[in-house]
Amino acid sequence: MGALRPAPTRPTDWAARPAGAAWRMFDLQLTTYAALLVAIGLVMAYTNTIAAGSAALESGTTLSRGLLWAAIAAVAFLVGTAFDFRWLKTFAWLFYGIQLGLLVVTLLIGKGVGGSVRWVEIGPLTFQFSELAKILMIVVLGSYLSSPGRNLNSLGSILGACILAGPPLALVLIQPDLGTSLVFGAILVGMLWISGASLRWLSVLGVAIVAMVPVAWTYLLRDYQKERLASFLDASPDIQGPGYQLYQAQIAVTSGGWLGKGLTNGTQTQGDLLPVQTTDFVFASLAEELGFVGGAVLFVLFALLLWRVLLAGWRSQDPFGTLVAGGVASMILFQLTVNVGMVLGVMPITGIPLPFVTHGGASLVSLAAGLGILQSLNIRQTKAAW
Amino acid sequence: MSTYLDDRSRPVRPLSRFIAFALVAVLAIGGLTARLFYLQIAEGGRFATQPTPIRTVLEAVAAPRGLIYDRLGRVLVTNVPTFAVKVRPADLPLPRRQEVVERLAALLDVNAGSINETIDSSTGSTFDLVRIASDVDEQTALLISEAAFELPGVEIAVEARRQYTYGALLSQILGYTGPVSAEAFPDLARLGYLPDDLLGKSGVEAQYETELRGTYGSQSVERDATGRRTRVLETVLEVSPGASLTLTIDTKEQKYAEKALKWAISEVGLQRGVVIAMNPQTGEVLAMVSLPTYDNNLFARGIGNADFGQLVEDPNLPLTNHATQEHFPPGSTYKLVAGTGGLADGKISANTELATESFLTIGDTRYFDWNRRGFGPCDIYCGFGHSSDTYFFQVGAMLGIDRLGYWANEFGFGAPTGIDLPGEVAGIVPTTKWKQEVIGEPVYPGELYQAAIGQGYDVVTPIQLVNAYAALANGGTLYQPQVVREVIGPDGRVVRAFEPKILHQLDVPASVLQTMRNAARAVVELRHTYNLVELPIRVAGKSGTAEFGTRDSQGRLPFHSWFVGFVPKDAEAGSFDATDSELVVLAFAYDSRTKGNVATEIVKYYLQQHYSIEQDYRLPDLLERGNFYQSN
Repeated sequence: MGALRPAPTRPTDWAARPAGAAWRMFDLQLTTYAALLVAIGLVMAYTNTIAAGSAALESGTTLSRGLLWAAIAAVAFLVGTAFDFRWLKTFAWLFYGIQLGLLVVTLLIGKGVGGSVRWVEIGPLTFQFSELAKILMIVVLGSYLSSPGRNLNSLGSILGACILAGPPLALVLIQPDLGTSLVFGAILVGMLWISGASLRWLSVLGVAIVAMVPVAWTYLLRDYQKERLASFLDASPDIQGPGYQLYQAQIAVTSGGWLGKGLTNGTQTQGDLLPVQTTDFVFASLAEELGFVGGAVLFVLFALLLWRVLLAGWRSQDPFGTLVAGGVASMILFQLTVNVGMVLGVMPITGIPLPFVTHGGASLVSLAAGLGILQSLNIRQTKAAW
Repeated sequence: MSTYLDDRSRPVRPLSRFIAFALVAVLAIGGLTARLFYLQIAEGGRFATQPTPIRTVLEAVAAPRGLIYDRLGRVLVTNVPTFAVKVRPADLPLPRRQEVVERLAALLDVNAGSINETIDSSTGSTFDLVRIASDVDEQTALLISEAAFELPGVEIAVEARRQYTYGALLSQILGYTGPVSAEAFPDLARLGYLPDDLLGKSGVEAQYETELRGTYGSQSVERDATGRRTRVLETVLEVSPGASLTLTIDTKEQKYAEKALKWAISEVGLQRGVVIAMNPQTGEVLAMVSLPTYDNNLFARGIGNADFGQLVEDPNLPLTNHATQEHFPPGSTYKLVAGTGGLADGKISANTELATESFLTIGDTRYFDWNRRGFGPCDIYCGFGHSSDTYFFQVGAMLGIDRLGYWANEFGFGAPTGIDLPGEVAGIVPTTKWKQEVIGEPVYPGELYQAAIGQGYDVVTPIQLVNAYAALANGGTLYQPQVVREVIGPDGRVVRAFEPKILHQLDVPASVLQTMRNAARAVVELRHTYNLVELPIRVAGKSGTAEFGTRDSQGRLPFHSWFVGFVPKDAEAGSFDATDSELVVLAFAYDSRTKGNVATEIVKYYLQQHYSIEQDYRLPDLLERGNFYQSN
């Protein structure tokens, strides 16, 4: 299989370099695309802040909080880049413990709406630990699947990965947060796929999961979750009930046209008719105010970003890096598809944020840390000179 | 492989997997783009013609709850408009939630945390209104509704609150309404209840919930972006207001009864007491007082945890209607059962004289008469009149436990009377079968003695006892006691008129009941009840002293006092041969421990008020604390 891969262009170069960082390998494109997406998110935060009737930079508004989080995310990104990613492998089990700890803490002291617990309040900021748990999950699974001597053709390795992912997924599911637990699932599947794990066993696993669906429907899903799924499957959703958000979102989207109504001009957005327009339904605001062109630009940016992420994984000399890239790419792609698909009425309503764009601190910090790790990967492509 | 500098194998990184992944990404993003294009460009404007910032909702319209009047048409409960603050979580934008909640908390002068808790603990869908505060004053309601734009998702609802005209005086009968509990909601939802609805929780409010509630209507309503109602589009279902009720209770009589009982409570320091006045000809309850009680207006205003906790923890159970929801040993009042049974079964005749010794002996145990001397040879008038225990031990022994039980059941003991109030208990009539089933033992002869004089296992509710004496007074018809006389529809027409409900006719010859009525008159005439005979009206009745609980240091038991009496239609000159009595009155004094029988004094005081007797015959001396063994 190794033959499929072209040899690195100048192998001797790699060997000649010391084990430290090669900052010229820093992927400026990757950073740029991500930064542009964050910028779009801040623009949407601005327009939503105006919608809420506040001055743009007043403290506590969506925009000012968004700027604060963007700054924190930039720090997380730089820290992720500066540190040698290989340390992550060393501490993988510690990360796993932290991940479980964060999720348990959320269940114990978390706050939420409608009987769920999702956020933990730290001072003035609310933090959704399950977002951090995602990136920790990627590191833990990457470390597990890339550990020396791991036979990826064995059922054992695949089941092992599933067992590792199980407890965090369950902890998120009982918050209850169906959306985030599905992201965990997507990360697991994406990483197993990129790892090159046995196709035969993966298919067996897939069939087993499909067989579990009726069981999950009966015992795991809460009524409101079923209601949302049912309202998605129902051809004429009850627009006064759970279908209401969707209905309002679709009105917003369809009224956008080619160029949109212009920032701060969207009637749906400015009328505060989108219940969670600064978070999960931010794309509806974007489509209304920036139109098809705005939406398409967003998609292009995501496509370019995913390309750079996968490229980082492909170039990685260390299988751990390949797996982390696969995990990050899976997470971004899955969240993008499900979130935008939900707004466009082709996916059921789940509370999954749109990566980089959604105003939601933990999600952004988590993604920034993930990209930071990839940059760390880019600039440390040498084999370690043990 | 050889291109690598170390000898470890290059990780497997199949290009095909990367290509497949990229393909999925391209397909997904392409699909989303296509969908966006379809919605915005191809389908664009499909919704554009719709007036967008508006939505319509189907809202329930509460039916006005029926009113309640007393038998003379006095209004006992009205609906007064109040303002409630509610939140529809779905309309509360998440990022602004904290700000909105804090603002609301400041306006309502409550803790923001408790509002958050209320919202988060609501079990319904996020589209269901959550009640944040009830009975908000008008000024605050106005402030909140003016700030609607800054308080998205917050609504002010005008709703009706129950206002009970007489409060505590009638709480035990009227009961109160309260919010639907989360556990009961799923079942109630099927009956059209809303999550923040109110329903009758006790008393008549609960018993006649269906009639009082009416049928809620619904209307479709247009709302603007902030959730404010802009206009009502159409009425989908007409509201049908609740029916009103007329009680059998006469508020004036209720006040007399309360005054009599309260006097005894303050005089003696009673912990609990009951007074019931009833019309034996119909089963209509004219007055029913159970103390201690509570003010149902507290509940109507939304009772606080502190107040509610105090009521629940009070050892004298102010939330319990002691007249129907609690049973007690009846003591000597129960001798009616043994006397009637003995006569009806032919074990004794009116003239049969039994020797009333100072005690009877079974094995080594002596069963004393209450006066420890006996009364000599006694017929039924003497035995019942002096309340001789040894007389009724003998009658009980002649009947046997099961025949005694049969006669008790005839008088309605051992089964709920079916009064139209919730939570009535049945009392206990011990029989061979009962004792075997419940205790697993046969009935011992001593227990038969106890059963004949209303001690031991015998327990009755005050309503059962007054109802039994009503049957005696009216010549043998056991009625179902009632507190509601009429159901009046919203149009003012009587939906259901009052009709006496007969439980059954006593299987007793009229002559036997006549004898027992005159024996009850003998109780008064033999001055067993002191000066009751001196009243300008003619009263017959029976007192009772019922021991309960555990003995004190001198081996004495605490006891309850009872008196139940009736007056002929012609109160001053009527005969007890007749069956025309229209008033039977019962008083029950829990743990009374007075020298005399406090219950008799309570009934006397009630009768003085009822018949407007100027002179005061009450004997406060008898109400001094002391061990009461002079009378029984």
